[in-house]
Amino acid sequence: MVYAVLLALSAAALALFLWWATAGLLDRQTEAAIRSDAQGLSERWADGGLPALVLTIDDRLAGNVDDDAIYFLADPGMRRVAGNLERWPSSVRQSNAWYELPVRRAGITSLALVQRYDLPNGFHLLIGRDVRVRAQLRTLLTDALLWALVIVVAMATAGALVVRSLFKRTLANVSATATAIAAGDFAQRVKLSGRGDEFDQLAETINDMLDRIGRLMDGVRQVSNAIAHDLRTPITRARTRLEDAALHARDADALRAAIERATADLDGIVSVFQALLRISEIEAGSRRSAFARLDVAPLLADIAELYGVVAEEKGVTLAVESPDHLPAYGDRDLIQQAVTNLVDNAVKFTPSGGTVRLRAQTVPSGLEIGVIDQGPGIPDADKSRATERFFRGEAARNTPGAGMGLALVQAVAQLHGGALRLEDAHPGLMAVLALPAPEERQST
Amino acid sequence: MSRVARIYGLTGLLLCLSAWMALAPVSGQPAPQQITTDTPQYCLVLLDRVSELVRGLAAPPPQEITNLSTDGQRMCEQGQTRGGIMRLREALVMLRTQARQR
Repeated sequence: MVYAVLLALSAAALALFLWWATAGLLDRQTEAAIRSDAQGLSERWADGGLPALVLTIDDRLAGNVDDDAIYFLADPGMRRVAGNLERWPSSVRQSNAWYELPVRRAGITSLALVQRYDLPNGFHLLIGRDVRVRAQLRTLLTDALLWALVIVVAMATAGALVVRSLFKRTLANVSATATAIAAGDFAQRVKLSGRGDEFDQLAETINDMLDRIGRLMDGVRQVSNAIAHDLRTPITRARTRLEDAALHARDADALRAAIERATADLDGIVSVFQALLRISEIEAGSRRSAFARLDVAPLLADIAELYGVVAEEKGVTLAVESPDHLPAYGDRDLIQQAVTNLVDNAVKFTPSGGTVRLRAQTVPSGLEIGVIDQGPGIPDADKSRATERFFRGEAARNTPGAGMGLALVQAVAQLHGGALRLEDAHPGLMAVLALPAPEERQST
Repeated sequence: MSRVARIYGLTGLLLCLSAWMALAPVSGQPAPQQITTDTPQYCLVLLDRVSELVRGLAAPPPQEITNLSTDGQRMCEQGQTRGGIMRLREALVMLRTQARQR
């Protein structure tokens, strides 16, 4: 409504300006002509007195081709001395004031703009111009502008009512959804009109936002449940060990051994929390400041050297296929940590006698680091959840770990603008960490 | 219609009415004054002035001035007073201009 009033006021101001610039200009021109006329006649009076003034008035009337001049020179008794009016108009009493005077010219009533000038010795002069044509034009312009103003006001009112109604409906829809969500019904969504307009786009954005919030809340709930579930076992185990040792330990060595085992359990819990914090830190994006150009090939060589020994102990072969140089842009430590997690998982799940392949290559979109194992793989149904925190598939129930490895790799990939793909290797799993090309990353 | 809409509509109407009243011609004007320079008598006055100026010329006036003067006189005689006066005025102005140039 405020905007509609502003629109109407703006339209009124514009109409006023147009009137001033057109009809007003005509009036000002007439007034200027009369003033100029008065100045000339005043000079004639000063030069030659009354006879000169009478002669000038007669001359000007005789040469008035436009047929619009009006003069009346009156003596102190207001009797006519010269001019083209019958008598002094009774309504014209003050000098230097404008009067609109009805006149009759050849049987046609017209309108004249006149002004009175008082001369020395009690004489009075009236000068005017016939403004009938200008008055008609002014009336025409005034009417047109007023009608335009009326139409603008009417349209602004109608438009304001329509827009207000539209906003009211849309906001009521959003408000109802917000109220329902505040009351605990998180399944509520803003209804779409189906018109595909800006309001529908807004509703879709709000719904997307609510979906995202819902997923985040589910994630938080899931992580909370997982923490409560996965940490309860080692904590209970440590407590039981300590309690058992306190009650049944026969000597100091047995007591110390029980404390050491409990300490190991608690260290495991601490490592889970450290992993959680690290993933949160990565997801927060605070590590981006450490991004730099790097060569991934030496990193892979170090990892292969480190895990080659572990794999060998388990009877697994670790094969590396990598070019000499693999340019990338990112955080060296995080990329190393991510590849280490993938290799650690692969070695862990590959049975003795099997092979783990660490394969890296440059692709048009950047760089891909693939780790292929010969383990049980991940069922399709679990692949989408495999990167969630604390998620452990059926095949991983009997292996050590807390379900943080792939979650961390996923976080690292997203931080670098890349992705983690989990594919079947028939047999086994192929985990691919894809990172964008250095140029693309630096420019973003 | 809501209260705000009614207030807004009323404001717009008042705005238009006030503008109309401010710009509309004022009624109750005095009786019109008769202009005395569009009468047949004034035709004669102008004809005298034209004749006087023509007499003062050393040479006959240009044909255009003669035509205007003749047309003006004829129209005045036929009752077309304003048209006749206009032509006589034009002839007078041209004669004055010619007289000044000499």
